[in-house]
Amino acid sequence: MTVLAKNSAKEHDTALLVAVAAGNRQALEELYLSYHRRLARFLSRFTPRYENVEEIINDTFMVVWQSAKDFRYASQVSTWIIGIAYRTALKSLRRQKNHNAAQNLDDYPEQTVDPTIETEVQDWLRRGLNQLPVEQRLTLELAYNMGHSMEEIAAITECPVGTVKARMFHAREKLRQYLPTLSGAAPEMSARSE
Amino acid sequence: MTYKHRSSAAPEHQEISALIPWYVNGSIGEHERQRVDAHLILCACCRDDLAQERRVYQGMTAETAVEYMPAISLKRLQARLDGVVAAASADVQVDVPAAAKPARRWMPWQGLMAASVAVMAVALSLLAADRWMQFRARASAPNYYTVTTSTAHAPGEVIRAVFSPAITLVELQAILDEAQLRIISGPTEAGVYSLAANSPRPVSSSLALLRGHAKVRFAESTQPSLGPGDRP
Repeated sequence: MTVLAKNSAKEHDTALLVAVAAGNRQALEELYLSYHRRLARFLSRFTPRYENVEEIINDTFMVVWQSAKDFRYASQVSTWIIGIAYRTALKSLRRQKNHNAAQNLDDYPEQTVDPTIETEVQDWLRRGLNQLPVEQRLTLELAYNMGHSMEEIAAITECPVGTVKARMFHAREKLRQYLPTLSGAAPEMSARSE
Repeated sequence: MTYKHRSSAAPEHQEISALIPWYVNGSIGEHERQRVDAHLILCACCRDDLAQERRVYQGMTAETAVEYMPAISLKRLQARLDGVVAAASADVQVDVPAAAKPARRWMPWQGLMAASVAVMAVALSLLAADRWMQFRARASAPNYYTVTTSTAHAPGEVIRAVFSPAITLVELQAILDEAQLRIISGPTEAGVYSLAANSPRPVSSSLALLRGHAKVRFAESTQPSLGPGDRP
């Protein structure tokens, strides 16, 4: 997306949220449709069951509907909405974990990744990502899956930038242990562990 | 980047290494991008890191096969919103005179939401209490019983017994005469007879006689402390 298009999208989001704050259901629906795909794509990496994904998205937009008038526009609308989705997902993931109901992505490989691009690297990657603590994985997903900057992730997760850096650092370190094939050179990997 | 390298890494190297994920996803600022570019020329470890992060990035951004249908999800959201609006409207009608209703429907959200949540909480509490009472009632009075289920004893009852469905009245009377027992109630739905003693004969003796008869399916004293020769 070009800078111009990004700015235009930001302005459009802002206009929609202003309308939502005034009780405009149509504006909420437009906002919902414009965010649904990226949120579904992001969330489906954690909860492959679409019911869970839909529940998190709808919970998110219930909060958007009810809190739009309180938004002060100090941050971008997208950051605010994704922040709500992040916290909703975090709660849901922790709840699932507590009830031993968290679905392992390994159980749904055919549902989450296009089989035509399934590779050994992706298999390792999926397994490695599943081993990460939720906050570290969410940070990595927000950066790589959603394309957010360090500062945006800090705003979304309501954490200092330093915490985001630390989570990313630890996520990358752990992934290296799980992803020997990613180095593309086995001897180098063994040298790393020395 | 290797561990060996990291142990002697300069702060500049560590800073650049931390920026690599955002260099990869393209969200890094122009100034920082130039810093990373300059460092990458000199640092083979960071180039390796960059290559690895690009593979991770490509793996994570691979298109999913599943295409969601937002229209269906949106309908469900609309239904939820309609429910909230209906609940809020109901509260407004109860609490606020029509003339005093705010012109813009979104104004009373917070208060109305809190009120509707409170009403729902009370309703749920009542429902939960009702369910709990039902559960307790069921638990204390099961809708089934067995021949050994403890119920109020008929006066004089010493034995409960179940006879074969094929037993004739004559055979039953003969067994009872021999055991010196009489029927004081029954049969219940489960076919249980309450029997009382007709003589000072020990209950244990009558019980043994019943148990020895082929047409007696079950016989048990209702006075567990009884021993051989004992009599209540």
